[in-house]
Amino acid sequence: MLVMRPAQMADLADVQRLAADSPVGVTSLPDDAGRLGDKIAASEASFAAEVSFNGEESYFFVLEDTASGRLVGCSGIVASAGYSEPFYSFRNETFVHNSRELKIHNKIHVLSLCHDLTGNSLLTSFYVERPLVGGVFAELNSRGRLLFMAGHPERFADAVVVEIVGHSDENGDSPFWDAVGRNFFDMTYAEAERLCGLKSRTFLAELMPHYPIYVPLLSDEAQEAMGQVHPRAQITFDILMREGFETDHYIDIFDGGPTLHARTSGIRSIAQSRLEPVTIGEADSAGRQYLVCNGQLQDFRAIVADLDWVPGKPVILSAEAAEILGVGEGGSVRLVAV
Amino acid sequence: MIVRPVRSADLPALIDLARSTGAGLTTLPANEARLAHRVGWAEKAFRGEAERADADYLFVLEDDAGKVVGISAVAGAVGLREPWYNYRVGLTVSASQELNIHRQVPTLFMANDMTGNSELCSLFLRADHRSGFNGRLLSKARFLFIAEFRQLFGDKVIAEMRGMSDDHGRSPFWESLGRHFFKMEFSQADYLTGVGNKAFIAELMPKFPLYTCFLSESARAVIGRVHPDTEPALAMLKAEGFSYQGYVDIFDAGPAIEAETGKIRAVRDSQNLVLAIGTPGDDAEPFLVHNRKCEDCRITAAPARVAAGTLVVDSQTAKRLRLWAGDQVRAVPLAAHG
Repeated sequence: MLVMRPAQMADLADVQRLAADSPVGVTSLPDDAGRLGDKIAASEASFAAEVSFNGEESYFFVLEDTASGRLVGCSGIVASAGYSEPFYSFRNETFVHNSRELKIHNKIHVLSLCHDLTGNSLLTSFYVERPLVGGVFAELNSRGRLLFMAGHPERFADAVVVEIVGHSDENGDSPFWDAVGRNFFDMTYAEAERLCGLKSRTFLAELMPHYPIYVPLLSDEAQEAMGQVHPRAQITFDILMREGFETDHYIDIFDGGPTLHARTSGIRSIAQSRLEPVTIGEADSAGRQYLVCNGQLQDFRAIVADLDWVPGKPVILSAEAAEILGVGEGGSVRLVAV
Repeated sequence: MIVRPVRSADLPALIDLARSTGAGLTTLPANEARLAHRVGWAEKAFRGEAERADADYLFVLEDDAGKVVGISAVAGAVGLREPWYNYRVGLTVSASQELNIHRQVPTLFMANDMTGNSELCSLFLRADHRSGFNGRLLSKARFLFIAEFRQLFGDKVIAEMRGMSDDHGRSPFWESLGRHFFKMEFSQADYLTGVGNKAFIAELMPKFPLYTCFLSESARAVIGRVHPDTEPALAMLKAEGFSYQGYVDIFDAGPAIEAETGKIRAVRDSQNLVLAIGTPGDDAEPFLVHNRKCEDCRITAAPARVAAGTLVVDSQTAKRLRLWAGDQVRAVPLAAHG
């Protein structure tokens, strides 16, 4: 069975294996033991902390195959984007340049560097091994986080954002970067992303152009790359779009990938998840697949289960599922249909 | 040759001149109604009936047969009725010692900094008269007029020099920038500017600072550069004390050069003298001579000699100025190094 749980320091080597395979642009998963170790340590402290409102915490989850003990995916949540340093995005803006006399009415698309999304909670670090892409466990790996947020709303902001990795070609070159960032850095996209992973994004963001950029002046390739999703990030994008995230308002300042955002309370898995009492037993027949989690912090667990559940009735869990989730008869779980 | 104020009787000659200029001289459009309007305003200005904001001192160069062969003008002030726009060429530095990055990106800032300055404009001399003192007389006569009627002009005098364009009148700067905001040809925008629509056009131009790295290489190359045909005019004004301080035209990026009014060589060095008629001598250097009148202003260039508070000229020169021996004149050597 695959189970989602908080990462522990013992997972470090396995996590680095996952990070090494994640595409350039997922700067939250640097292939660097030191940085990943820091990330896990910060996560362990965050799960252990008593928190009454979102602050500097970051939560890092892994997806473990309980049969082999092997990790097959990971994901994370940063409680407050830009908590200790500004969080930069490009905001899509439209200006109308109008002259009645000359009968000209032009809508001009402009990108403005902004900190609008600072303080929002941030979904990060999504990775699943390739065979899982498109399947139910990719849903678990991504949406398990949303169930965790639903169970611990005080730990998160009212709005959630996700930066989706943007388009880059087979050589790792990003047309958006080449047209914009490269002018201010004189380094390739891959070099810049590597630096972002090792230092911090803010470090580089502070060198980005602070005046708005007129989109019509950018190359056609760069304009096309705006809002485009990297093929390997399509899975993250699709899952979250189904959750009700919105696109089009913000893009990433480096690769032009879309930055999704949503009101926390409006996210489907959060709004539609239910907290229900548990009964242990054998389900009569397999009904539908559900994402199911407990209400714990350090012992948080989330799984996929086939349930024949009727709203308003207790959830009948198998003994194995109940054991993994650490819930007994009379306990409760949070669940949402896959 | 004599420089004198324009009169409405000159209108047919002006239209002939305007038709022969081609694109590039925005202040002399071959538009009869517009020219008639302009001449009317110039007559008012010379009569002292126009405010500085509207004053347009338009001069003609007339040969001894009474034929108009060139024009030049100086505006009392720019930007006091409608906004006057230039780009200021500034610099954005993107630097980080830690990352070993230092990038300099020239940046264009839209500015109204020239507001209230007087402007040299509309200089045009028929091709078949570009010889002898004619060009310098036509251009520099304005400085004597300014020196004589200093209170009619601003603290600075500017001149917008024609920017680079190719044989077809295409400006690389316009193609890379203005084109995106207008959907019209440079020559059309140029024409509209000439007939007084500059502010309308500026309304359509980008207002935020522009990183020049987003412009084409050929556009970047012409910022602050003059058209080859304008090089001699630029050299002459530089010799008079004008300099490029980083302001350029918003359409073709030609330089807007400037000088403090009182420090222009021909203003500063001009002196009031008493006219004497005689033989200037073989070693006499050419002088600009002004009859010190406004509405009946006459300025010519001729060999002359300063002797004991008098300016000795030949009788032909006195006749051109319509002066007698003993009359007051303002004079300055024609050449800057004189």
